[in-house]
Amino acid sequence: MAEDLVLDTAIRDWVLIPLSVVMVLIGVLRYFVSKLMRSDQTPDVKIVKEGQLIIRARNLRAAANFIPAKSFRARKNYYSNEENGLLHVPKGQAQNPQAQMFSDPNMAMDMMKKNLSMIIPQTLTFAWVNFFFSGFVAAKIPFPLTQRFRGMLQNGIDLSTVDVSYVSSRSWYFLNLFGLRGLFSLILGEENATDDTQRMMQMSGFGFDPTKSLGAEKDNLDIVQHDWALPKFEQRAEAVLKKLVS
Amino acid sequence: MDKNKSSDALDEIPTFNVDNIQNNTRIINYSRTFMSIIGGVIAGILGVNGLTGIVFYFLVMAITTAGLAAKTEFSVHSYFDSWNRIVFDGILGGLMSFVLFWTFAYDMVHIF
Repeated sequence: MAEDLVLDTAIRDWVLIPLSVVMVLIGVLRYFVSKLMRSDQTPDVKIVKEGQLIIRARNLRAAANFIPAKSFRARKNYYSNEENGLLHVPKGQAQNPQAQMFSDPNMAMDMMKKNLSMIIPQTLTFAWVNFFFSGFVAAKIPFPLTQRFRGMLQNGIDLSTVDVSYVSSRSWYFLNLFGLRGLFSLILGEENATDDTQRMMQMSGFGFDPTKSLGAEKDNLDIVQHDWALPKFEQRAEAVLKKLVS
Repeated sequence: MDKNKSSDALDEIPTFNVDNIQNNTRIINYSRTFMSIIGGVIAGILGVNGLTGIVFYFLVMAITTAGLAAKTEFSVHSYFDSWNRIVFDGILGGLMSFVLFWTFAYDMVHIF
């Protein structure tokens, strides 16, 4: 590169390091705040019941080959028989999940809390970075990029002659935002790593329709090919024992 | 570190414990993240730049894979359902962390 920029060490001491440290600390703070705000709502009995039922059916499906055909048939009948099987949901009883969500204010409240604990710190840090550090060239990434990335990496600097690999402080903030996720999962445990993405997923599936999953589980159970594994185990045991003896 | 799943590689019937598999997968992800952060710092301090850095990242990931395989005493099938898990899981997830720490260390040492 012909025109190497010389960056002042003061930028490192007063922009780059503080910004990164603050991002880490805010992540930690957010984790603990959201932990504090988490309310233990007592779940609805019906929903818990259905959840447990699905788990039981799933266990049966996973362990189908370890029980005799007759036992399997009996259990399958118990779950998915058309008249009073546990997984069989009568038509018209399906509750509208949307309506259910609105009828339970606690649920909406919880959702909002989670949302807020995510959005508020981000907005605040972004405003902070914007206010104090706008227009700095804060860092230089050690690999070349094409012009396409200029908007992404030099957010806040309107110079077209600066090499693209120089990063503005605002973009450094974004880089931190994404890159620190891994670090958080190490220092705060798995729970936090799943925070953003997983929680978003959970949220969208919040008023998830239990009847639908019951139906799906029923279909899954219906197509299980039963193949009792135990007869083969005798041969296997024989082989193992033979190996031991010889 | 790893928990054994009750299975035999010779066995044609897949018998495994879902909890243990999940635990093992989580351990893979932890190791990958950890290695990508450490690798990023090392790359930055060494002053690796350009494409060499990306190559370095994959080298680090390969080392991680080798380490994990060694940890399972090379009987990967008694801990995971396939080799793919140990070879490919979590590689892209660590890339962002790698780039961040690479940039950070590189700037600290070489730019300023």
